[in-house]
Amino acid sequence: MSPLDISVQHVGKQYRIGAARGKTPFWALRDVNIDVARGTSLGIIGRNGAGKSTLFKLLAGITAPTTGRIVLHGRVAALIEVGSGFHPELTGRENVFLSGSLLGMKRREIASKLNRIVEFAGVEGFIDTPVKWYSSGMYVRLGFAIAAHLEPHILLVDEVLAVGDAEFQGRCLQRIHELKAQGTTNLFISHDLTAIERLCDSAVLLERGEIGATGAPADVVATYHRRIIAHANAPGEPVAAALKSGITVTNLATQDPAAPDSVSCRSGGALAVSLKYEATRPLPPVEFELRFYAVDGTTRIATLRTGEVHVDVPGGTIEFTIASLPLSPGAYFLGAIVRDLASAKALAWWDGETRLHVQEGRARTGEYHIPHTWRHVQADAGERTAAGSVRSKPAG
Amino acid sequence: MSRPTVVYEPPALRHIHPIAALRGLRQFLDLFVTLSLHRINVRYKQSRLGLLWAVLQPLAMMVVFTLMFTLVRANPGGPVPFPLFAYAALVPWTMFSSGLTSASSALTSHASLLTKVAFPREILPLTYIVAAVVDFLLGTLVLGALMLWFDVSPGWPAFWAVPAIIILIAFLIGVAFLLAAVQVRYRDVGLAMPVLLQVWLFASPVLYSLDAVKATLSRPLYFIYTINPLAGIVETFRRALVLHQAPDYGSLVTAAIIAGLLLPIAYVYFKYVELTVADTV
Repeated sequence: MSPLDISVQHVGKQYRIGAARGKTPFWALRDVNIDVARGTSLGIIGRNGAGKSTLFKLLAGITAPTTGRIVLHGRVAALIEVGSGFHPELTGRENVFLSGSLLGMKRREIASKLNRIVEFAGVEGFIDTPVKWYSSGMYVRLGFAIAAHLEPHILLVDEVLAVGDAEFQGRCLQRIHELKAQGTTNLFISHDLTAIERLCDSAVLLERGEIGATGAPADVVATYHRRIIAHANAPGEPVAAALKSGITVTNLATQDPAAPDSVSCRSGGALAVSLKYEATRPLPPVEFELRFYAVDGTTRIATLRTGEVHVDVPGGTIEFTIASLPLSPGAYFLGAIVRDLASAKALAWWDGETRLHVQEGRARTGEYHIPHTWRHVQADAGERTAAGSVRSKPAG
Repeated sequence: MSRPTVVYEPPALRHIHPIAALRGLRQFLDLFVTLSLHRINVRYKQSRLGLLWAVLQPLAMMVVFTLMFTLVRANPGGPVPFPLFAYAALVPWTMFSSGLTSASSALTSHASLLTKVAFPREILPLTYIVAAVVDFLLGTLVLGALMLWFDVSPGWPAFWAVPAIIILIAFLIGVAFLLAAVQVRYRDVGLAMPVLLQVWLFASPVLYSLDAVKATLSRPLYFIYTINPLAGIVETFRRALVLHQAPDYGSLVTAAIIAGLLLPIAYVYFKYVELTVADTV
């Protein structure tokens, strides 16, 4: 058996939360045991407040455990937020050196990789511009590019893979595959269950600070879904997370505007999705993301984004309107995320179960419904005999 | 590439070895250099007068106190012109006061960094101290110019300025580690800093000479006075550069002992607080 690069032994972490410090002890982790063998990848999943981020901070050495011990063999690179330590007044180049050395790189090492980092981030023309003039996309890409060019033995990644556009995400995944091929030991924390299944050799489910399940990623993800459905949105749980980020998603509901009382909607028909949030304090601009998952709960079919939103205190509602739902009949799950617009960091997730039942409408078979019009073109009589549009035809 | 083994355990003072901590610091030498350059750059990047600010503070204080003592027709400087007498002490004092002000809030002013990246936290206060030392060197250049102006040339005792400054930097690092670590839990430290430094200035022989204190206070009171390491350090620095006198050995040795004891103790305490600083900051 290959040696263990990460060994977490009976680890617990206690925080004291509340206005008056020292009042309420709270165990974020309790008796957690995890082993990761050299060259393998482990995924950590769980709801908000389950202790994922706490575990990550302990592994990264940001804070010490209250009980137990953690042993790591190898040079560690921990990515908790892209662009940590960026200074707005400094140029891209200066920030590469600053951020790289914060991650433990030597100046010479950074200098030799500078060109590759800049190219990876796609900011060639702006490397001598202060980063305060960067778009949020450029900022995030440069931050990730620095981290992607570390050559660690152990790579810890907390939810930062979901940055940038699809093309950039592809490049990130490719880089992770390269590192895996070189024998890096990886630990990923993610809400993106598809990514966990694709990237990891095994997975751990954290529940209220304890290990709820371990095993093959597909099995652990399946367990996670069964438990979510069993106690959908248990009240009071995400409190610790909300205290930190300042925002929670409290409800996500769907409605067919044509039939307000119906619990389902029709393929090709209209759909309204309303997302309720609560905010405890004013926040920098955020972005809301609505995700459609297939019935297995892991395959992501579509993602809708809002763009810049200034949240209201104490709360508000975001309504997504879809004029013509392209999904074929069947059952789906919906998810939602609130991100900080500048850093793309996830501030809140909707972990409750929102199911969407799509009934037969315009599409009866096939993968999805494509809105279309049609006409019958005849050889000699022109095009007037039979013409129509599915829009004008009532659905069956 | 060799594989280091890292062990994280619950915080315990007995697990903290200053030598091992220094070894960990060595691996982050490049971060220390980058951040120190960054401090010096950023501080003056958007200001018109730039590096002049480094010497304006002691110069302004020198002018104010010279005016004051001219008004009351007193000259605590004795044989040397008072502006030179005061400025020679204000240069090391300013390094201490401005270095301590910025370094003691180095942890609390970097809360978001501390909760996201792991690195030896002492780098933060140390880089502020580097910036204060750079300011001190610029201030010393101006002192040289003033000496030319007043036609005072340095003699052989000038070399005593070097040990005095080394002791001052060691003491500054020790106090900064201690106060930065305490401030994580008690923000009162930051609020108390201006008052503390004001009292400390007048409790040190900056605007008067140590000899005047010796002549006024009884022996036990004088000993208590010299427990403040700034007494021996500031006096030695001034004597060495502008008075051509050997140090007052008693107070300088006291300062060296206190700085030498405080630094390792403060460092161990700092490393202990560091383990959970991300939870409380």
